[in-house]
Amino acid sequence: MAQLPERPSAWGGLSAILDTPTKQWTVTAVLLAAMVALPFVTDGYITVIVTHALLYVVLALGLNIVVGYAGLLDLGFAAFFAVGAYTVGITTQYFGLNFWLALPLAVVFASIAGIIIGTPTLRLRSDYLAIVTLGFGEIVRLTARNLRETGGASGIRGIESPWIFGYHVQSNIDFYFVFLILAVLGIIVSVRLANSRLGRAWLYVRHDEDAAEAMGIDRVRVKLAAYVVGAIYGSIGGAFFAANLGAISPESFSFRQSVEILMVVILGGIGKIPGVVLGAFIVILAPEFLRGVGDLRYFIFAVGLLLIMLFRPSGIWPARSKR
Amino acid sequence: MRTVLKTAAGLALALALGAPAIAQDTLTIGIMVPTTGSEATYGQDMANAVNLAIGEINAAGGVLGKQLTSTIGDDGCDAQLAVNAASKLAASGVVGVVGGYCSGATIPTLKIYGDANIPLIIPAANSTKLIPENPGNAFMINSTGNDQVKKAIEYFNAKGVKSIAIINQGDAYSQDLADLSKKEWEAAGNTVTNFEVTNKGEQDYSAVVTSITSANPDAVFWTAYYADGGLLIRQLRERGYAGLIAVGDGSNSPELFKIAGPAAEGVIAFSNPTAEFLPEAKAFAEAYQAQFGAAPGPYSTLSYDAMKLLAWGINTAGTTDAAKVIETLQGANFTETISGPISFTPEKTLARSNFVVLEGKGGAWTLAQF
Repeated sequence: MAQLPERPSAWGGLSAILDTPTKQWTVTAVLLAAMVALPFVTDGYITVIVTHALLYVVLALGLNIVVGYAGLLDLGFAAFFAVGAYTVGITTQYFGLNFWLALPLAVVFASIAGIIIGTPTLRLRSDYLAIVTLGFGEIVRLTARNLRETGGASGIRGIESPWIFGYHVQSNIDFYFVFLILAVLGIIVSVRLANSRLGRAWLYVRHDEDAAEAMGIDRVRVKLAAYVVGAIYGSIGGAFFAANLGAISPESFSFRQSVEILMVVILGGIGKIPGVVLGAFIVILAPEFLRGVGDLRYFIFAVGLLLIMLFRPSGIWPARSKR
Repeated sequence: MRTVLKTAAGLALALALGAPAIAQDTLTIGIMVPTTGSEATYGQDMANAVNLAIGEINAAGGVLGKQLTSTIGDDGCDAQLAVNAASKLAASGVVGVVGGYCSGATIPTLKIYGDANIPLIIPAANSTKLIPENPGNAFMINSTGNDQVKKAIEYFNAKGVKSIAIINQGDAYSQDLADLSKKEWEAAGNTVTNFEVTNKGEQDYSAVVTSITSANPDAVFWTAYYADGGLLIRQLRERGYAGLIAVGDGSNSPELFKIAGPAAEGVIAFSNPTAEFLPEAKAFAEAYQAQFGAAPGPYSTLSYDAMKLLAWGINTAGTTDAAKVIETLQGANFTETISGPISFTPEKTLARSNFVVLEGKGGAWTLAQF
């Protein structure tokens, strides 16, 4: 019997252990409480690197929708991240726009970018799609590097951090909570999307495009939706990234960045939300905790990644038990 | 399998936790440079130079009677990684930081060091964009683009040049330098005959060369990098341009001679002070070679000076209290350097231009006399 594709779910393979809502809520509450308490019990460095990991949770959840849900390999995801960051940078710097007005604009521009990359690539599959998205990512980066409006190679600096209800979001702890909220929202939206009509449509399209179309699923609309939703995640991540750092430059949106986000998704387990979250924490925190090792840290990190891929080729998070 | 992973994880943890504990009678200096990624060699050169300086300072009795140790924060020349590295250094109780190679990665760290109130000495990063972001604790000891333009104009004036052609490649670095040069040159009442932008990687410069030879300026100033600059210089000379050719510090690589060949003879380059062109740096270069088995890198001298300056600042202030150290550094007139005396403008940038003028002779750069 052919193996059924796995439905993305909130708990993935742990749903066998966490089988009742009470257990699930308890685990969620404990994890959330731990995350809220974290910046108050650790030093500033831990706060900063966990913030960085939370940013990657948001970005990887977005890419997970494109790669995991809809099955479209995307090697240029950093482009959406860049569109979000640069929209906020440009509109707040040159047009004096408030961050909260710039944010929806960033989402709009990223959605347009999602449609631009989505439309011509709809006919492509696997390797060809990967090449086109790779090219798109580079186009966006090189455009940013060469336009006067984007500050060329040195980028944009002095981006104001946002105010919310008279409170200036500026310290590391403030941004920690901003990204924590974004990550939690991202998880909720991802879970809801997976169970939605659109989520099921993605599942069918990923599994068999032609059969899905025969069943009345609009392939074009569904694939574009995946790109657009992914782009929205990326742009929101990018917008807050710009506000957090206060300065952006094209190096932050290189091919390496796209690969790193893809690595998070693959490492955690494609399509598995808790896996993606775990993947983000591993990919970002492992090199940081290995700083003490010195020059060898990326080597040890790489060996660790290889071991994980060798022994858990479908990602760290356990696959759902077959019943 | 599980035990393998557990052992690996345990080993990693042990290594991470095994970082040397900071003893009471030492002061720790943070070094923020890229030691991974494409700029890793420059970063390592800088870190080596700082450690060389620390060794000398310790041998001479240390700072405030205490020995110095250093800890490296790898910024990977990436903004986000730099923020992580800076936060780590700030949280590890360093008394001061020497570092900053890539301007783009250095800018977002300024706020972190500012908030943590840690004196920062920047030996390499020299974008003018750092200046307005400085919360007041950072000191730039490398000259900025403005200083290069000053040096260039000084040289052109000394050579009696009245008209120049400026060519750049449209990237931030070469364009900024070109725009600044044009502005300053014209403000001084001189003429810019050509202001051209070429594409990176272009092979045929005949269009630009033709328009330059027909305008025939006294000098041509190439503000971009050596790879394309070498070709342009060759084509200019082949077409019979006989005037002065000058290049910016992006083109001061010895590679220029390989590309341009004999056409590079007599070409003038503006450069940051590197060890080979500083007579005072001979002992430094030898000590560096002896300790690390390699010649010092382009920013090694400035990194060495940065460390010496920081140690002087703490010693003179008589305390590691950041406010006092910063105040001392602001008033510095520090001459125990190998790249020239250091004092600061109110904006905390180097008060003089440290650019040197080089001339191509016999297929190598030599210090130009003028």
